[in-house]
Amino acid sequence: MQTGQERTDKNGTGVASEYLTFTLGSEEYGIDILKVQEIRGYDTVTHIANAPEFIKGVINLRGVIVPIVDMRIKFKVGVPTYNEFTVVIIMNVLGRVIGMVVDGVSDVVALSGDQIKPAPEMGAALDTDYITGLGTLNEQMLILVDIEKLMSSEEMQVMEQAN
Amino acid sequence: MTQSEQNNNIDLNQFNQVFFEECAEHLAEMEQILVSLPDEGPDEEQLNAIFRAAHSIKGGAGIFGFKDMTVVTHVLESLLDRMRNHEIHFSTAMVDLFLEAGDVISMQLAGHRDGAFVRQEAIEQISAKLQQVIDAGSVVTPVGSASAAMTAVSEEIALSETVASEHSCQRYELVFTPDPDIFRRGIRLENLFAELEELGELTVTVGLPATTDFNTIDPEICVCSWRMTLFTTASEADIRDIFEFVADVDQLQVLTTSENALENRDSADSELIAKVTLPEIPRPEVAGEPGADTFGNAIGRRSYDKNELAPGAYGRRTSEAESSIRVGVTKVDQLINQVGELVITQLMLAQTAAVLDPVLHENLHRSLLQLERNTRDLQQSVMSIRLVPISIVFSRFPRMVRELAAKLGKQVELKTVGDSTELDKGLIEKITDPLTHLVRNCMDHALEIPETRIASGKEPCGTITLRASQVGGRIVIDVIDDGAGLNRAKILAKAAERGIPASDNMSDEEVWQLIFAPGFSTAECVTDISGRGVGMDVVLRNVQSMSGRVNIASEPGKGTRVTISLPLTLAILDGLSVAVGPEKFIIPLNSIVESLQPAPESLKTVNGRNVVHVRGEYIPIIALYELFNMDALVKEPGKGILILIDVEGEKAALLVDALLDEHQVVIKSIETNYRKVEGTAGATILGDGRVALILDVNSLFRMRKQK
Repeated sequence: MQTGQERTDKNGTGVASEYLTFTLGSEEYGIDILKVQEIRGYDTVTHIANAPEFIKGVINLRGVIVPIVDMRIKFKVGVPTYNEFTVVIIMNVLGRVIGMVVDGVSDVVALSGDQIKPAPEMGAALDTDYITGLGTLNEQMLILVDIEKLMSSEEMQVMEQAN
Repeated sequence: MTQSEQNNNIDLNQFNQVFFEECAEHLAEMEQILVSLPDEGPDEEQLNAIFRAAHSIKGGAGIFGFKDMTVVTHVLESLLDRMRNHEIHFSTAMVDLFLEAGDVISMQLAGHRDGAFVRQEAIEQISAKLQQVIDAGSVVTPVGSASAAMTAVSEEIALSETVASEHSCQRYELVFTPDPDIFRRGIRLENLFAELEELGELTVTVGLPATTDFNTIDPEICVCSWRMTLFTTASEADIRDIFEFVADVDQLQVLTTSENALENRDSADSELIAKVTLPEIPRPEVAGEPGADTFGNAIGRRSYDKNELAPGAYGRRTSEAESSIRVGVTKVDQLINQVGELVITQLMLAQTAAVLDPVLHENLHRSLLQLERNTRDLQQSVMSIRLVPISIVFSRFPRMVRELAAKLGKQVELKTVGDSTELDKGLIEKITDPLTHLVRNCMDHALEIPETRIASGKEPCGTITLRASQVGGRIVIDVIDDGAGLNRAKILAKAAERGIPASDNMSDEEVWQLIFAPGFSTAECVTDISGRGVGMDVVLRNVQSMSGRVNIASEPGKGTRVTISLPLTLAILDGLSVAVGPEKFIIPLNSIVESLQPAPESLKTVNGRNVVHVRGEYIPIIALYELFNMDALVKEPGKGILILIDVEGEKAALLVDALLDEHQVVIKSIETNYRKVEGTAGATILGDGRVALILDVNSLFRMRKQK
């Protein structure tokens, strides 16, 4: 488990790591690019009985059943609309394939250690535990998410907690 | 784990796996032949086959560095070789001995493969026993001490190779395990080693048991053992003299090896050291066993080894083995998955093309039809790869029956019918335990002792028949005995005693079902074979976990038949797709009784819950939309369609919006990337590429009870 943060720490400030940035409502987020498998459009999902609201259901990704979570509902940012611009980031997290609905994918950026600042305690919907830091790029703030920690957390209910 | 194994890289481990599989096969083959031997003894061919199996195991073990496995096999091989040469004659006792040897080798195999515990004493014992048989029937100098079994073999080599003369320099391997109180007796070991050194060149290695904790160790108690290599012209007696007042005879093991055999031995030697100091060997005295496991392999080549091209020599395989290849299960599963994808793609194509004008696109339609046929054939062929003959399971029973019969003092003949019936590999693994249990039950409870059988006018020898056959899409396995049959009165009495609901006017069929209740046993006494009442319920559970069913038919005095019916495979399921709101679900066909549109007057409520009246029965209605918190088109039972399901006699009616189609669906796991979803047994991909959940009817019942 090596997040972008850890990589830069190990190598001092020299080497930057890359993040895929995406928008949820008006906020800009970033996740470690190495966790991203592919990006695709939003398709009809099969609803899963008695699952939390932010788990949209499962899709067939070339024969593999993949759960889809909507971070806009989970983080309570933006309005969850589904149209031809809605994007799903398919990620590889802890050996599992999980899809994440976002409003749009913006860019891939490289951030070095000194560009990342620790996140303040906020007690917000998104627990600070899952934020590796806040990055700044061209006057814009990036919320860097530890996607592994987030997806394996109990509140996401994506993985069996026994694991 | 031996040192050489630790040195292996990953590639070698892969080969090790092949060796394990082959070794297991050879053992099974050996056992099969042994069990089927006629009383007058094996014929040439059978003897050769057993010999080949033993030899192949030994050879493989040597090559792959499992030196300890060569010990028993070597002695076994020697004995068999002498039997082949008619130097030793067959006796029935040998069969048991050989079987026991096979068990010890299996144990060692399991030790290497799964890290299972290996009883070193068992290896010693069986080697000694086999050696005794050899000694008894041959001219080789008999050796008094049982633990010196290997010495005899070595001496035999020395004789046959006539290299070492009595006065030449000999190499001795000494294993010295002193009494724990040796220090308290004031014995100075330095003096002992000094004396040994006077005889020749001495190398000493000390071994400590794995459990040694240096914080709590008592320095006055000796926990060490020593291994020594000594080159000397002195005789074994001279060496033993030195130990005269220090060690009892059984505390010192002396192995002689001629110097000539030495060159081959360096690897074994280094391994010996590893063995001694290796922490994971769970026994109190590290060097407690004879050096056998490391020396056995070094005995050198025997005359028959040179004869590899002689008729009947090892290295030959039956033609059956040659016509098969070994492929990893994951590869096969991958192939099955890919074909599953292909089937879905083909379905999508067919759906898309269905709207096209058949006249304008005649060629397309014809090609698509062909594609459909081809994919279906392909799928069938691929599924058949996973199928293995049930003889793999059946073949383990002759031995079990033989041994149990002897133990119970019964005469039993085991018949197997339909050995070549094929079953999914996953099912084969899971069916073994339930079948074993059923056969044990037959042996212990059903079949009578010969006297009782004769008294009731039956043959003294009872029969157990294992019969497998394919009936439609299912595999049916019968376990039939001609024993006493189930005792209705006894079962009912027992049920009453155990508080299991039962009544005298139950049908036979229902009474037989009672024996599946947990904790049920009518056996008067609990034996180590059966009778603890943890059996039939487990059998039922196991079979049900494979979507199978168990039925019992029994007639007093005539016998009992237990029938297990299983689906052909677990990867594909026959299902009915139904619509509930926007979603589609698959209901396994084997749990569906019928579907109906209820008449308004047949719908009633009990305590506010809906029931439907079907042919005199009130069946509870489960509304899927309610259970799954969904929006459905139809919310009133009177307007929708009810699907009657029946699982183990428990019935319910599922309310759905509409019936769609009947499919063969490929079962996919949801849990791979998500968690278990209650009420479902997995998911599948429909013709339109969408995911549909497969309902698990059992867990639906559970969910309903929780609500």
